[in-house]
Amino acid sequence: MRPSVLTQFRTLAGEAVLDAVRRRIIAAIAVVSLLSLMLVDTCTTCSGGDVVVNGQLREIAAIAGWTGTVTFAVLGLWSIVLAGVLASEHLAQTLADGSATLALARPVGRRTFAFARLAGSLVIAFATGAVLLGGTALFLHARSGLPMGPALVAGASCAVGAVTLAALAMTASLYISRIATVMLVFIATGTATLANLLGMFRDASGGVMGAIDRFGPPLCTSIALALSPWIDEVRVPGSPLEIAIRHCGWAVASIALLGAAFRRLEIRD
Amino acid sequence: MVALELAAVTKRYGSRTALADVSLAVPEGSSIGLLGPNGAGKTTALRLLLGFTRPSGGGVILHGHDPMEPAAREGVGYLPERLALPGRMSVHRFLRLHGSLGGLVGADRDEEVDEVMALTGIADRARDRLSNLSKGLLQRVGFAQAFLGKPRLLLLDEPTSGLDPIGVRDARDWITGARERGCTVLVSSHILSEVERTCDHVAVLHEGRVVASGPLDQVVRADENLEDAFIRLVRG
Repeated sequence: MRPSVLTQFRTLAGEAVLDAVRRRIIAAIAVVSLLSLMLVDTCTTCSGGDVVVNGQLREIAAIAGWTGTVTFAVLGLWSIVLAGVLASEHLAQTLADGSATLALARPVGRRTFAFARLAGSLVIAFATGAVLLGGTALFLHARSGLPMGPALVAGASCAVGAVTLAALAMTASLYISRIATVMLVFIATGTATLANLLGMFRDASGGVMGAIDRFGPPLCTSIALALSPWIDEVRVPGSPLEIAIRHCGWAVASIALLGAAFRRLEIRD
Repeated sequence: MVALELAAVTKRYGSRTALADVSLAVPEGSSIGLLGPNGAGKTTALRLLLGFTRPSGGGVILHGHDPMEPAAREGVGYLPERLALPGRMSVHRFLRLHGSLGGLVGADRDEEVDEVMALTGIADRARDRLSNLSKGLLQRVGFAQAFLGKPRLLLLDEPTSGLDPIGVRDARDWITGARERGCTVLVSSHILSEVERTCDHVAVLHEGRVVASGPLDQVVRADENLEDAFIRLVRG
């Protein structure tokens, strides 16, 4: 009987999730996420009263949009980094320990195997992101009155960014060591974020950072764009449609790159 | 009908040539022993047949397909030399997983899993974690997964590695049983007596080249056994 690709994918992705859950890093992630939520809880409790900003007395509620956006964006970017870190050995490890060999000796396509491993690591990253960002959005909504809609869109944007970074990290892990891949994840996210921030606040449209901002994955820009209903002062360059298309385009291209790279890879048992 | 074919295959790893202009065709239903000293290119040949690597020159055909295509690996049972099994899984769960990947579903899969566990003598260890099994038992699990779905081609790399004498005898019986139901068998082994007992054809690789191939009685002269023939072919 010819095996169904969907059944194979489901089977392999299920195993990939279980593999991801068993990794030691998961405990560390759970602790850090819990601490982050506790911090968000503390930070959002001061919803009443006044504060002096640039010599002017303002209500805390009036600056909640800013603090909410910054908090959400930082946690969103952390979730994206987490997806990259989780993916950085989720496929490479199966090649290193030889467990990929038996699966790939079956009528399993290389792409099916790689995408199932990617899906497995993303399930954990998405679950962590949902807890972190969902909790943050709820706190901000309940205590500062910020609407939930923008947070949902920003969460979806983080998910797209997570797919991009995880797929790129997984591809890189086929050629370089885990530590190098993790460093690359941090450097890539940091550079893209810095380029996006320069684009938003300094109109730095020239040079390398300008090119990264205009053509790179809009990791931070897309979150800021989604959360723009919370704040009035931020101007996000480019049209929302162009940013959304570029964001999704990067995710699709990253997945395609992973598939192509894994298909060409020499597998040693 | 040819089950697998290497046609003028060359495989290079950087400046090192692992296989040089190797041609080998294995008809369906036959059993062939792939022999050669360490580094002769036996494992490289198996990796090419499974699509793990691409040839630098020439072509590889498995069941009429490029081995990179999943369809080529339908009905193939593979036992690698370095068997890496997920220690966290039970024997039963591991075999169910591989049954699913091979296209078995539902009751058929469970029936097949029970059958291969009974065949390889591991039915009483079904619930045990793989990490708790001895090397010999793990090799039996490896055989069980290779036999799942009644393969029409078995690729076995050093199949008796880690087995005790009883296990070696059992393995020989399993391979013979597979042959009797029409399965094509390719065994890569250092243990010449095993190849002599389970295969009707041999191919001898030396320094990446096929130095002899054909029916056992043609490769081995009347006054020698396979070991004598192997030494003669490899040492010249």
